[in-house]
Amino acid sequence: MLECENLAKSFEKDLFGGFNLKLNPGEIVAITGPSGCGKTTLLRCICGLEELDSGKIILSGNDITAIAAEERGIGLIFQKPVLYPHLNVEGNLKLASKHGDIAAALSEVNLTGFETRNIGTLSGGEGQRVSLARALLAKPSVLLLDEPFSSLDVELSDKLVNDVRAILKERNCPAILVTHNRNIADSFADSVISLK
Amino acid sequence: MSKKLVLLSLLISLMMTSGCISEAIDENMKSEDYVWEDDGELVIVTYDVTGLTDSMLSEFENQTGYEISLMKLEDAGSILNHLLQYKGVQVADLAIGLDNTYLQTAIDNDVLWEHFANFSNISETALAPYDGPLAVPFDQGYMCLNYDTEIVDGENLSVPTSLWNLTEDEWKGKVAIPSPETSSPGRAFMTATVDYFANDEDNQTDWTDWWTAMSSNDAIITTGWSEAYETHYTGGYGEYTEGYVGDAHIVVSYCHSPGVESWYNDNWTKSSALDLPRAAFHQVEYAAAVAGGNLDAASAFIEYLLSEEVNVNMPTENFMYSVLDGTDLPEDGGYRHHSTVPTKTAEVSPIDIASNMENWLEDWNQAMVAA
Amino acid sequence: MTNKYVAYTAVILYSLLIIVPLWLALDRLIWVAGFDILGWIGSLDENFISQGVLEFTIIQATLSVILTLAIGIPIAWQLGRYNWPFQSLIKSLLTMPFVMPSIVAAMGFMSIIGENGLDIRSDRSTWFATLIIAHAWFNLSLVIRFCEPVLSTLDPHMEEQLRLLPSGKTMWGRLRHLWIPLLMPSIVAAACMTFVFSFTSFALVEWITLGENTLESMMADIGSSAGIKGVMVSKNEVILGASIIQFTILLLSLWLMSWLQQRRQNLLPIASENIVKTNNKKGWFIVLPAIIFAILPLLAVLISSFRIRETDASGSRQYWSTEGWEYAFTATNSLPSAWDALQNSLGYALITLAVALPLGWMLAQTIRDLEQVKPRLARMLDVFTMLPFAVSSVMIGLGVMLGMIRINAEFFYSFWLTPVIAHVMITTPFVVRIILPALRSLDPTFDDCARTLGMSKTKRFFLIKIPMLRGSLLISSIFILAMSMGEFGASWVVTRNSDWTTLPIIIDSIRAIPYNNPMTVPAANAVSSVLMIIALVLFVSTEKFRPKRDGGMF
Repeated sequence: MLECENLAKSFEKDLFGGFNLKLNPGEIVAITGPSGCGKTTLLRCICGLEELDSGKIILSGNDITAIAAEERGIGLIFQKPVLYPHLNVEGNLKLASKHGDIAAALSEVNLTGFETRNIGTLSGGEGQRVSLARALLAKPSVLLLDEPFSSLDVELSDKLVNDVRAILKERNCPAILVTHNRNIADSFADSVISLK
Repeated sequence: MSKKLVLLSLLISLMMTSGCISEAIDENMKSEDYVWEDDGELVIVTYDVTGLTDSMLSEFENQTGYEISLMKLEDAGSILNHLLQYKGVQVADLAIGLDNTYLQTAIDNDVLWEHFANFSNISETALAPYDGPLAVPFDQGYMCLNYDTEIVDGENLSVPTSLWNLTEDEWKGKVAIPSPETSSPGRAFMTATVDYFANDEDNQTDWTDWWTAMSSNDAIITTGWSEAYETHYTGGYGEYTEGYVGDAHIVVSYCHSPGVESWYNDNWTKSSALDLPRAAFHQVEYAAAVAGGNLDAASAFIEYLLSEEVNVNMPTENFMYSVLDGTDLPEDGGYRHHSTVPTKTAEVSPIDIASNMENWLEDWNQAMVAA
Repeated sequence: MTNKYVAYTAVILYSLLIIVPLWLALDRLIWVAGFDILGWIGSLDENFISQGVLEFTIIQATLSVILTLAIGIPIAWQLGRYNWPFQSLIKSLLTMPFVMPSIVAAMGFMSIIGENGLDIRSDRSTWFATLIIAHAWFNLSLVIRFCEPVLSTLDPHMEEQLRLLPSGKTMWGRLRHLWIPLLMPSIVAAACMTFVFSFTSFALVEWITLGENTLESMMADIGSSAGIKGVMVSKNEVILGASIIQFTILLLSLWLMSWLQQRRQNLLPIASENIVKTNNKKGWFIVLPAIIFAILPLLAVLISSFRIRETDASGSRQYWSTEGWEYAFTATNSLPSAWDALQNSLGYALITLAVALPLGWMLAQTIRDLEQVKPRLARMLDVFTMLPFAVSSVMIGLGVMLGMIRINAEFFYSFWLTPVIAHVMITTPFVVRIILPALRSLDPTFDDCARTLGMSKTKRFFLIKIPMLRGSLLISSIFILAMSMGEFGASWVVTRNSDWTTLPIIIDSIRAIPYNNPMTVPAANAVSSVLMIIALVLFVSTEKFRPKRDGGMF
């Protein structure tokens, strides 16, 4: 259970202020708003990559506001797949968990048999699936998604939205999706917040 | 902004305190304070003295059990500089190659100390410049100008009858002289010119005027004797070496250099020594124990160097006269025949050299720049 | 972001490494000469040995730049704009000169102009031109490496668009409005570096132009008489004056370079991988002579090592033989064998690698971190790391010799690693120049993502950062090894102890042996060949791992 209390940040202008959110286990929330309004920054603050000006973040009853990103246990899927070119698919997955079940992770995202594939040979959709599999292998308490579908074409994006939602629901993993696309927000999330 | 100020002031104060460290280090280093031990090694600092051949050195090693290592520097000037720079922290045990124009500076700076080598039979001429306990002569020679007889034949170029001839147009760019700042033959020759011009008929000019004129006349000044003799001089063996340029027809060398040429060439040479009174200089080269070094080893080597078997070979091994009494250049190959003993060498007392050398070098420098 | 302690350690260590020897040397020189900056500079004109040296240094460096650009830009143009078979081989061949130690270059050109080659050595008037050509030979690759990537990766749409506009109708119009502005930063950067290298030329000047000196070679010549109280005081003034002038001129050039390199990092529209370039048969008229020019001196070195020439009164005879090689590899009392020199060179190179690589990395990382919060300070640190370029190797050598040895001569003189100090000072700037751009171009998202996966700092360093930068690390390593093995200036001043003899030093020593010894030239060329082959091997290894378009110095 994730609680955000009065999160505020400004950088050359006010990005967001007084942001509150309560995320229950298994719940998926979407945050929408026009480009440049601070959605990405909000996600980055929640997972610890950037610092808040004020506010508190509480995860499972613990105040994690001051804790480093690598220790929060919150996953993040970026807009474009972030795959390490010096490792193949399996290598990338192992970064999240040395002893985890790679095969199971890949089959969960419908990429069975992709272990030895080279990163450069993957399509956009496949890349995001690998990123997802990797993020999930790290067993996050919350998964954040920063518009991961926007770089894909409509058909693919629709499919992926459904697949990812199903996986998250299956795992009962709470998630926050940030997007400027209202339709995707509606299909993916249980509830939608507008960030203005 | 304030950081920059701090840095700048730090830098300036650093610079102003400069000199302190060196001052502190330099203070207490007298030779009486040195302690040494015999570690079975002999480090010789020298320039490329040809006489120190491998066989000669191995012979010494076999006889005495000492292990020799040579520290070869560019020329006599480098030897002196090395000794002065490492004063108090010397790494060499024996210095071979300082001559009577460099020796006094070394003595004055307290970098040599008394050896206890035993020898006898050194000629008086060799001992004339210095006969004290701090250095031992091991070879000697006379510096003078050598000229190429094939070109300096009266038709192309006339044989100079006075040093002033060399400042004339026909000699422009054709004279090679090693620098007195770095080379011992060069320094010896410069010293000779001090005396030469002090005693010529012309009261209006002195030696610095001549050097200025030489500089204007494109005299080739080299760092060392080898470059002057091998690379520039046309009368010697230089034309057989790689990198030969051959633009000088007169060069500062030894009065017996033509003899060496002849000895190598089956009694033939085109080089000849120019015998102008006072334009020659009696040079003596020394072996000296370095203060703080292995005195046992140094003394042993000095004895070896002065021994009959070794020293009589100076003319053929080292191309210099021996310092032992009753020796002379060999006759074979026309060595002795083609060598000249100058009629009159420059008369400059060792005391004069000692007290004036730094000033002469400064004057020389200014004379060359004035051109 | 790196640990603050690491950053401080690196900067302090490096500062000590540079500042301490230099300060000690300056201390000694000032102790002898007194503190009078204007007096020092004035003394250059008042001393015979330094008269005309500054003018000569500047003139030859400037002419070298002009010639290098004149030859290099057309070549870069051909290589960048057109398709070539064996493209990377051609580029490698043209870069070979740069990685050659200067003493090898000196031997190569001596062979070409000597009696076995063009036989123009005895003609004094050819020396200056030979020097300029040799400098151009050395620095050609800089122009090519700086300019060619810009030419070859530019989006062709930029030129196509211009051709359809009035100002771009003619070639001259396109040059003026597109190519020259585009290439100007690269050209100026290459010109700066060529100037710096030519300005501080030592080995080439010593051997090719007898009697002429650059500030660098002059300082080397009189260095041995420096720092002695009451002896040749004016020479100390000369060294101080020359150092200050050299330092100022070089610092300005380097500042310009650093500023330009940062500007170059700004992205130009880069073409996709699939642009097709045409062939240009006529271009071979430019590229082929260039390749021959690049290879010729190296071949000359190799061939000369097997050629013995004996001359005496009866004439001269030449024959092929390996005697020169035997001579070089046999130790005598006055000269260590090339084997010993080789071992020393390799040993020093490896240890320099062990020190300079981590040090350079830490400095680069520190600069990178600062760039994001305090860009001015970052720039200052950037230029500071390049100081050894401005200070020049002879001064570094003097620093080590006058400075460190005076602290404790017994220790430093017998400590085999003393020359390594100089080597580290000289190679670390190269590491920074190579790694810094690579760090700049590393997408921070990679690090962010790894953090969200729970990876600790150490893990991210070893599993992400190092592997992703392995190309630059490898190149830096190879550069360090090559630079260390070829180092001449500082070593020449420092090496009084034959235990320290390295390959470049022994080449110089062999060549300088007087008297009529036919072995000196072949032997010197034999050792040069060894050094050359090692440099080649190291260099070819870089080519395999060079990351594309990293915008770095190479």
